Formats: sequence, structure tokens, C-alpha cells
Amino acid sequence: MKEFTLDCMGEACPLPLMKTEKQMEKMEVGDVVIVQIDHSCAMKNVPEWARNQGYNVEIDEVDDGEWEVIIEKTK
Amino acid sequence: MSEEIKTIQRSSSRAPKKPKKSQIPYGLALLIVMVIVGILLTMKSVTLGLLWLFGSSFGFVLQKSRFCFTASLRDPFISGSTSITKAVLIAFAIGTVGFTAIKYGYFVNGLPIPGMNYVVPFGPTTIIGGILFGIGMVIAGGCASGTLMRIGEGFVQQMLALVFFIIGSLIGAYHFGFWKINFISHSPKVFLPDYFGWFGAVALQLLIILCLYIAADKWQKKKIGA
Repeated sequence: MKEFTLDCMGEACPLPLMKTEKQMEKMEVGDVVIVQIDHSCAMKNVPEWARNQGYNVEIDEVDDGEWEVIIEKTK
Repeated sequence: MSEEIKTIQRSSSRAPKKPKKSQIPYGLALLIVMVIVGILLTMKSVTLGLLWLFGSSFGFVLQKSRFCFTASLRDPFISGSTSITKAVLIAFAIGTVGFTAIKYGYFVNGLPIPGMNYVVPFGPTTIIGGILFGIGMVIAGGCASGTLMRIGEGFVQQMLALVFFIIGSLIGAYHFGFWKINFISHSPKVFLPDYFGWFGAVALQLLIILCLYIAADKWQKKKIGA
């Protein structure tokens, strides 16, 4: 089980989502990726996309306006 | 979201959280300033006061709902998600009913219908403008309202987008005359109630919105099956 960090700070929609999609393709089942974002729009579509894919998703507000979306590849 | 039970195992230890400073005092101070500005504007002109009130409320709703017109048109292609598309369509449907009620109210009383100068000619310029705006908003990461809303959130990239948004508007205004003479003056102005009657226009528009809604729903089911 590996853990990756994806730095998407300062990147506007839809880049965080596209980077997350690419990253998930590379990962094995059971791996976890932590997507760091500070764009409020990405805060909506990254978790939504991941939930729709059926992955486990958690959101952590690290600081005001900075989030970590933690996604576990479950399948 | 913070109430959610954490189930994902993280190997790396979480960065120790900085104690967050409460933002409530700033919020209250801002609210007081906004009320004062609102009162000052209303003393000058009631319309200005109303614009201030509606503008601020619209911004608040936009930010809290993470409503994004760009995402409503972009996400169906990128992630297959149409949840925001459907939200925008519902907003259009509500807007259709509301605006028609206002306009019809003026019409039956024999008063000039408000907002008629927004009924602009439809033609090739509509499509060219749509393509230009569409490319721009996806690169910039937001349309006009989204860009302004995120500047308020303090997102620096969008401040840069605003600078070029203004430059682009100036260039557009500079050769607006060319489009006006060559295209816009030849295009027809379409105000649906003139063609279908008031009830017909509302029914037609709601029907089109309903079709788009069903299409959006089917699109998401096809793309991601959820």
C-alpha cells in the first residue's frame, strides 16, 4: 500500500481533477493519494468524481481555504 | 465533512494542524461595513441600495453553493458529471417563470416591459461569441461571476484572469462596431412571447429546459453510471 501526494495548490479547475484522474490510473488497488487543493471549485468536483467512481474519499480542511482530499483506490 | 469518520489509513503522519484563527470577528466587521455602505447608497438612491443588496446576496449564495457556470458546461465533458449542469437548468427554469411573471405584469397593465433592451439579435455573432467565451472561461477557470467570486476568496490565479478579462472586454468594445455593422444589424431580434404568445413562450422554454435536463441526466448515467 503506497501513498502519493498530489500538489495542486494554486491550480484552477479543472486541472486538479484531471491530474487526480491520471494519478488514479497509475495507482494500484489499496493505494492512497492525497490531493492538496486551494481552489473551491476543485473542492466540489474532485470528491464528487471520486465518489462516483466508487472510491473512498475523505476531506480535510488543513487551513482556511486549503484542503486535502484523501482518496483510496478501492477497485 | 469533518464529522465524517476517518476510515482511510494514512501512513504519513498528518501535519500538525495550525490552530485556526476564528474568522467570525472579521465577518461581523465586514457585515457592519456592508450594512453602513448599503444605508449610504440607499440614501443616495433606492435602486443603488437594492443593487448592493442583491449583488452581495448573489455573491454569498454563489460562494456557499460552489455554483459555477463554467463547471456546468465543462464537467460533462471532463468527468461526465452533470450535477451542476442540472442545477443551472433548474435555476433557468425558475428564472423563466419569475421573469415572465414580472414582464407579463407590466404587459397586462399596459406599461413598457422592463428589460427589453436585453433582447438582443440572434445570429452568427452569438455562436462566435459563445465559442470565444467558452474557450476563455475554461482556461481562466471561471466565467465572470466565478472569477469575481474566487477573487473574493483570495485565489491569486483568478486575479490575473480578471486583468485579462478586462483587457479582452476592452478589445471587444474596440471592434464592436465591425460586428454591429456586418452581422448584428442583419440578425433578427427574437422575443418568444411575440411569436408563441405568453403562455406558449413559457411552455416552450420550460419544455426545452426539461429536455436538456433529461439529456444531462442520461449523459451522467451513460458516462459514469451513477
